[in-house]
Amino acid sequence: MHQSKSMRTFRTIAGWLVVAVFFFPIFFWTSVAFRNAKDIFSWPPKFFAFEPTTRNFEQVFGISLGFGFGTQETVNPGGGNFYMAPRLWDSIVVASMSTVLAIVVATLAAYCLSRMQFRGRHEFVNWVLSTRMMPPVAVAIPMFFIFKQFNLLDTYLGMILVHGLMNLPLAVLLLKSFFDDIPAEIDESALLDGASRWTIFRRIVLPMAKGGIAASAVLCFIFSWTEFLFALTLTQTGIKTVPVVSSTFVTSIGTAWGNMAALGAAAIVPAFIVILLVQRHLVRGLTMGSLKQ
Amino acid sequence: MKDSVRKYYLASITDKFVRGQMGRRDFLRAAGKLGLGAGALGMGFGNRPFSMFSNALAAEELTPNPEILAWLKDVGKPFAGTTLKLATESTPPSNAINGQLKKYFEEATGIKVEIEVLPLEQVLQKLTLDVASNLGTYDLYYIDQSWAASFSQDVFDPREQYSAKADLAMPNYNLDDFLPALVDGIAKYQDRWVGVPYDIPIFIMIYRKDIYEKLKLKVPETLEELYTNSKIITDEMGPNVYGTSGQMKSGHYSLECDWTAWLWGHGGSVFGPDGKFTGNDEKGIAALEYWTKLKATMPPGVDGWTWDGQGQSVAQGVAASMLSWGEFFPYFDDPTQTKVSGLCEVAVPPRASSLRTVKETGYGEIPGVGHQGGSSLAVSKYSKNPDAAWIFMQWATCADTQALITTLGGGTGPTRASVYDDPRVLANARVGAGTTRHLPIVRETIAKHMGSEPDLPEWAQLSSDTIPVSLGKYFAGSYGSPKEALDDIAAQVGEVLKG
Repeated sequence: MHQSKSMRTFRTIAGWLVVAVFFFPIFFWTSVAFRNAKDIFSWPPKFFAFEPTTRNFEQVFGISLGFGFGTQETVNPGGGNFYMAPRLWDSIVVASMSTVLAIVVATLAAYCLSRMQFRGRHEFVNWVLSTRMMPPVAVAIPMFFIFKQFNLLDTYLGMILVHGLMNLPLAVLLLKSFFDDIPAEIDESALLDGASRWTIFRRIVLPMAKGGIAASAVLCFIFSWTEFLFALTLTQTGIKTVPVVSSTFVTSIGTAWGNMAALGAAAIVPAFIVILLVQRHLVRGLTMGSLKQ
Repeated sequence: MKDSVRKYYLASITDKFVRGQMGRRDFLRAAGKLGLGAGALGMGFGNRPFSMFSNALAAEELTPNPEILAWLKDVGKPFAGTTLKLATESTPPSNAINGQLKKYFEEATGIKVEIEVLPLEQVLQKLTLDVASNLGTYDLYYIDQSWAASFSQDVFDPREQYSAKADLAMPNYNLDDFLPALVDGIAKYQDRWVGVPYDIPIFIMIYRKDIYEKLKLKVPETLEELYTNSKIITDEMGPNVYGTSGQMKSGHYSLECDWTAWLWGHGGSVFGPDGKFTGNDEKGIAALEYWTKLKATMPPGVDGWTWDGQGQSVAQGVAASMLSWGEFFPYFDDPTQTKVSGLCEVAVPPRASSLRTVKETGYGEIPGVGHQGGSSLAVSKYSKNPDAAWIFMQWATCADTQALITTLGGGTGPTRASVYDDPRVLANARVGAGTTRHLPIVRETIAKHMGSEPDLPEWAQLSSDTIPVSLGKYFAGSYGSPKEALDDIAAQVGEVLKG
């Protein structure tokens, strides 16, 4: 379709404006991570004209450019205790493993719900959906007691289980819709050719649903990465995820905005890497279903 | 040379060195004269990446008393291998213990200490869950003064622990050394001690000396003078600089803290002797009217700030004074973090126009313009390791550890009388990060001007929800007059107390 030059210019400007609106908070948050407190609250705000410092990152990650790696005891002068590097690792472990758990179980469940005919199938789907309707806080406290009883409190296993289970309904419903979009005739043809259900699932359906699985996995990862309530209630000192430790920058003598921004800026990176890794499949997955037969 | 003079000199040269105002060679020469010799080589180098005075001094001076470490080694032996857990707000004492001091305790006793640092409301959530479940997830409780009544039956009374377990009692622990006003205001509920006073943030008057001098103002001694000064500054220097500041975020506990200071300062109280809300009497109305006119001298946006925003407004030079937590002062003196290092001074809070006695109030409320927000540390009754926790608690709150906390923890106010006179604390009384030069005023405020909130189980809800939500609505213009707002609060408080 032919477009006039002015229309193309307008579209380009509009596109850049939209990008700027979405990118600005990330830019500003990241720039806060490189500022001293007195530059964070300067008025009028300084976007570039400030003296950059790596001090916030040094405190949060125990890395000193001049002196190598520190430890929790040595990097926190003046009583501050903002060494959070292990907490980033905790988040990576919990988010990755809970995503794997949710996707493995959800893929199998979604395939069954999409292809198998059994009594109560629709009710089962509704029941799966209903588990997302309950406010998480209603479950958090009973979970605390159960986890304490089974020694799952403050453990990787406990957090992986709870985040995996939390994401399961969403992943099941998403994947079911992706499987529904793959024509059932393909399965039937394969069955006629003598393939077993497992072979069809593994060799035919799974490769075709790769995009949908990637999209579901990214969503599960992000939900786990940003989840706060369960992570707060079910952890203590052993493990802690990034959203929970972010709140610890709120101290009795104010909020350590620079440190909080340093952790926040660093926390974007793993989620961004996950998205990059599955980007090729993600675009396919997100547009899947837009072209139906 | 006297020890205190030597320490002061050491502090001074270290300060100059870490700020780059003194060369390494000159610093080593000066340190050598103090007898530090090669030890000074380590200062400002090695694995201390941040140039802060307190840490530099720590290398040579700030380590626990060897006698206390010997006692810990002896008494802690049977408990080696035990793990203790404490959930606490991120306060200077907790951070200093967690980041720098607990290693000494752990090395001496073999007891591991895990400290979970959280925002205050999350600490309350964790403790409530622990108490409700009786699971003993935490061995020690950090108890804000407003929760003392709620947790009074869930912790051991330290006096009973001290006398009942003579074999675990720290020599010279001296419970009488805790400032009596703090014991009454923070750690006591009815006849029980709900732990021992652990930290003491308290309202003091912090003002910009340079601005006061420029405008020829004198430090306010009365609330009316505070208003007059603030108005003059705002009129003369606004909108760049405002006279005073506040922590007036709608629905936040900080708003209630400010309210009580003005209420008590005008002769009012939250409750009367009959246990009924009296914040809506004529004194209460006068206080709210005063606060309303004072707010006009504060920076715009003050009703969106907690203590964080209030502190930042002074730190960034937007506000010329604040009646607020003394803990901010050492931060204001840090030239790397604020624009007002060396420009601020402290004074006791302005005098109240009249003051009710404790007998004229309810639930142990102590009127005073110097609102205190302290906390206590106590051993949980549900702890599986109460003896090990008691040993830790004595160590964490003994005079030697408090002196270390005050110097390492950035000039926080001690809760023991003797610590205010400790040479290590006095040596830090100079302009710079982590200063202790405000502590004499903190001590005087505790003794003469301290105000404490009432102790009742419903207070956590009233102070963090009912009262600040309605006050926030008042400042947002939802009520026609101060009286209407306060009458509504009175009705809501009545409902809460009825259950």
